[in-house]
Amino acid sequence: MKKYSLWIGLLARVILGGVLFAAGLLKYQHLDKSQMAVRAYELLPISVANFLGITLPFLEIAVGLLLVFGAATRIAATIGGLLMMMFIIGISQAWARGLSIDCGCFGGGGQVAPGATNYLPEILRDTALALIAIYLFRYPQSKFGLDRHTSDGEQSNG
Amino acid sequence: MENRAMANQKPGKDNFTRNLVIVVVVGVVLLMLVPTLISKGTKTTAKIPSSVSASHGYGIVFNGDVKSVPVVDVYEDFQCPICQQFEKMNGDYIESLIKAKKATVIYHSLSFLGPDSIRAANAGACAADQGKFLDYHRVLYANQPAENSGAWTNLALTILGPAAGITDKKFGTCVNGGQYADWVTNVANAGAKANVNATPTIFVNGKELDRKTEYFNADKFKAAIERG
Repeated sequence: MKKYSLWIGLLARVILGGVLFAAGLLKYQHLDKSQMAVRAYELLPISVANFLGITLPFLEIAVGLLLVFGAATRIAATIGGLLMMMFIIGISQAWARGLSIDCGCFGGGGQVAPGATNYLPEILRDTALALIAIYLFRYPQSKFGLDRHTSDGEQSNG
Repeated sequence: MENRAMANQKPGKDNFTRNLVIVVVVGVVLLMLVPTLISKGTKTTAKIPSSVSASHGYGIVFNGDVKSVPVVDVYEDFQCPICQQFEKMNGDYIESLIKAKKATVIYHSLSFLGPDSIRAANAGACAADQGKFLDYHRVLYANQPAENSGAWTNLALTILGPAAGITDKKFGTCVNGGQYADWVTNVANAGAKANVNATPTIFVNGKELDRKTEYFNADKFKAAIERG
């Protein structure tokens, strides 16, 4: 049973980390567009949105890599989970306010034609990723990670 | 328990490797982020093409000195297919406003689609230096390739010059040298500050037109501009 859960941990790390890394890399290639994507949520002051549009891809790349390597898994999963919750709030408010935007999750973003929005699948996907992050926060131990589980007492309790 | 003790002694399971990976990942990402933030800043020393006004968001201004006419800001990307459609529908009308001095028109060449956009925006600025921005603008849209196909090389953009009536050799030098690359960054920054989130985006007297109705209906577009 224990071995089984370590493999789940690996799968969780690779999925969450891989998605974050890919999303960050795609945004990094078009930073102007990334800034635009954040602005289009009409949630933040323009200067803050522009700053976030540049820094977010880097944060996603760093957190994604750490998760894939399994280094500082718990902290990385926490940041990843908070990002997902932030995205869910952003997309939900855009939907509720009737904005027509692309979430810009994997690059792209900005205003789109009304009816070309894709809010529900985006929210469901981010919810699934948030749940994976919560799982990793609770059970950061996994196969092939670099973290040494010094809190072995906790492990043997489980 | 024995298994765990052994696992901890395997290479790669020690804290050194883990900490090294954390430091390298965070360090490299920060090292990439800082120069990016700096290069994204507005470059006050950028070379500016003629008829550009920093106070108008680094746009290329027509009829800037004409008083009591509507001010039309056109944010576009030469590579964007929807901008081409917009140009087909409203381009002649906008040019007629410029020629008749019935509006101040400011063209903002955005470049977020990719490198082709940046090269085209630079070439547009070179054409402005030759007093041929409007002609070159028309030629670019008439010869728009598929998005990010890489077809708009500096050579291709230079060859399009004569089609717009540009004969000066300086044009080619300007296009090839990316003379206005920093200016293109400044235009992009100004567009970001103006909260432009799509191309084309049209402001009339600082107010954005209604995307649902006024962009792709020639009559409504005219009405919106005349309303001012």
